[in-house]
Amino acid sequence: MSARRRLEIELSAAEGSHRVRLLGLPRETRQRLATLGEQELAREFPVYAREHLAGEAPDFAPMAGRYEVDSDAVTFVPRYPLVPGLDYAMVVRVAEGEPQRLAFRLPAAPSEPTAEVLAIYPSGDRLVRNQLKLYVEFSASMSEGQAASHVRLERADGGERIEDPFVPEPELWDREHRRLTLLFDPGRLKRGLRPQLEAGYPLQEGVAVRLVVDTSFRDAAGNPLREPFARRYEVDGDLRDRVDPRDWECRLPHAGTAGPLRVRFDRPLDRALLQHAFEVIDAAGRPVRGRPEVGPAERSWSFTPAAPWLPGDYRLAVDPRLEDLAGNSLARVFDRDLASDEEPSDPSLEVVSFTLHALRGGD
Amino acid sequence: MSENGTAAGYADLGLTVGTPDIQSVGPIAFGPDGILFVADNASAAIFALGFGPAGPAPDSQAFAIDDLDGRLASRLGCAREDVSIRDMAVCPLTKEVYLSVMRGSGSAAIPVIARVEADGQVVDVPLEGVPFARTTIEDAPDLGDERIDIQVLPDDSAEGEEYKTGSGVRLRLLRDGLRTVTVTDLDYVDGTLLVAGASNEEFSSTLRRIPFPFNGAAQSNSLEIFHVSHGKYETASPIRTFVPYNGGGSILASYTCTPIVQFSLSELEPATHVMGSTVAELGAMNSPTDMVSYRRDGDEYLLVATSRLPLLRIACSDIDGQEALTEPDEPVGVPREELSHPGVLRMTNLDDGSVVMLQQNGAGPVSLRSYECAAL
Repeated sequence: MSARRRLEIELSAAEGSHRVRLLGLPRETRQRLATLGEQELAREFPVYAREHLAGEAPDFAPMAGRYEVDSDAVTFVPRYPLVPGLDYAMVVRVAEGEPQRLAFRLPAAPSEPTAEVLAIYPSGDRLVRNQLKLYVEFSASMSEGQAASHVRLERADGGERIEDPFVPEPELWDREHRRLTLLFDPGRLKRGLRPQLEAGYPLQEGVAVRLVVDTSFRDAAGNPLREPFARRYEVDGDLRDRVDPRDWECRLPHAGTAGPLRVRFDRPLDRALLQHAFEVIDAAGRPVRGRPEVGPAERSWSFTPAAPWLPGDYRLAVDPRLEDLAGNSLARVFDRDLASDEEPSDPSLEVVSFTLHALRGGD
Repeated sequence: MSENGTAAGYADLGLTVGTPDIQSVGPIAFGPDGILFVADNASAAIFALGFGPAGPAPDSQAFAIDDLDGRLASRLGCAREDVSIRDMAVCPLTKEVYLSVMRGSGSAAIPVIARVEADGQVVDVPLEGVPFARTTIEDAPDLGDERIDIQVLPDDSAEGEEYKTGSGVRLRLLRDGLRTVTVTDLDYVDGTLLVAGASNEEFSSTLRRIPFPFNGAAQSNSLEIFHVSHGKYETASPIRTFVPYNGGGSILASYTCTPIVQFSLSELEPATHVMGSTVAELGAMNSPTDMVSYRRDGDEYLLVATSRLPLLRIACSDIDGQEALTEPDEPVGVPREELSHPGVLRMTNLDDGSVVMLQQNGAGPVSLRSYECAAL
């Protein structure tokens, strides 16, 4: 009789899959195992995260994966990657007596907080009472499911927390998961609905608030933020009329120059929508190449052409979906009072344009 | 006629065998022939996956499974808190319960479709070598659209990508990668996939109607949806959850702010407004999570699960007879009764005679239970 070798687990990774090798099985056992099918191997060598093995034998299914038997070992290749830092065990039932639990663990990746909040929009320091949304822009891709617990709105004076101001789900992100949209509960903004009557506006005119993102907000790698971020806002009254380009001020560049076209708004507009709401179009109907820029506090927008302006007509096409802080757009007010004289919204309105005359000469 | 759930049948429906590049899973719903529609918000797509029936449907099936999330976590080899159940659907052919699940979060997140078998075991469904089709839910920008979602950059710009127009002009474009549509719910009615979504930018309410089989990108059309609260104010607001009603001729939709609104879908042209009326309000700081309709003793009822209130039952005859609410202080609209089923996260019809629910008490384990309609 040869002395029984100690059973041991060896972890490796190949071609994107983890491999869990069980070493030390007697040769005759390995020979027997070579005749077994996948399901029988899964029954003899089930693998679990340790938390699912607590107490008696679990009736839960073991980890999904496939098994290989070679001359040295039985190898389990999990279908889903092992979670770093999580305790696992392979339950080995071939030896006499109680099944053995052979523990293993992938070391937790070193974690270094690197992500931070770059900005919170609006970038001005004032909100309106019927504010519809805020944006939090991060420096890196973030994990989902964090906003409800790690973003809070509080009174700026005593720090008293404002209860449930935002819609908890679905969390609204951009494609890269770098910009989070915080939508105020629309039921508390829409006039005539019970939530508005019962709970009132989340914000109060004249009561300053602070939006706080705490460091426990995890990035996509699971690491916390480098530091917390807070931003204070004063709160003004309601804003309840349509965005109207006729209220904007345009500063026109001179023809022959590559100076910027500047548009100053009558009110701050939505940061995200401003980034793609405008198109400068020349007299022939072609889009003009150049670089757009959103101004401070989202009160203005400018466009610097790649080539000097030509004398003649230009148009600035405006996306009718462009909204202000309260969700009023060019197309409609946020909630239209049916009893008032407000114009009904016009679904056919797709482009609002006005004419720019580039000045002749170099004066 | 397609042959139910066979490879040939799926080919007729435009599905081809391969490995769909699903990046995330969200709302799911079954269509014809055991086809599961899966909303993938990360890639702004909807996949149709052909999960042909493995065997005949059982006569009846009942579920009473505790610790469903623990079972999933065990199968997926992760901690329970790394399992996030996103939605549930029942295959009409096999009466099996399917779940969309995300394992892990952030860059390590893996989308999983899981199936709950008759013996209570939970298995993950392989997504390699399955018949599938894909359609996009993006507001695909194109140069012909005057409302351009893309920016024309200087030619020497390092950003963006080069694009050649029909007339041969080369432009350097920065495509708008910011605006996304997050699908909040979807359902299949008579050859059409109805998809409700929320934008991360503009505050709007559109309901996409995507014909199935998918015939190319331009086939979907949107309805802009307004609802009138108490006859006084009109707003457009994203739909959180909806349920087809009146045989698919209308839908009952619920918003983040909990009014339940009825819309008729019949005789609607693309790009028109749909005006819905509020038939019930459920109260403040409350978010609807799911709705299901079922029949009991020949009458149709609606169950509404919300984040704060007990499960509510509404008789559809009351909805049909409900005048649109006109006064906010005459509260509530249609009568509703509270049921004793706690912590309902998701509900769906198991068959004509029962409804299956995902339930969770506080932060405890999630259970899966079926209830006979006669007792609901």
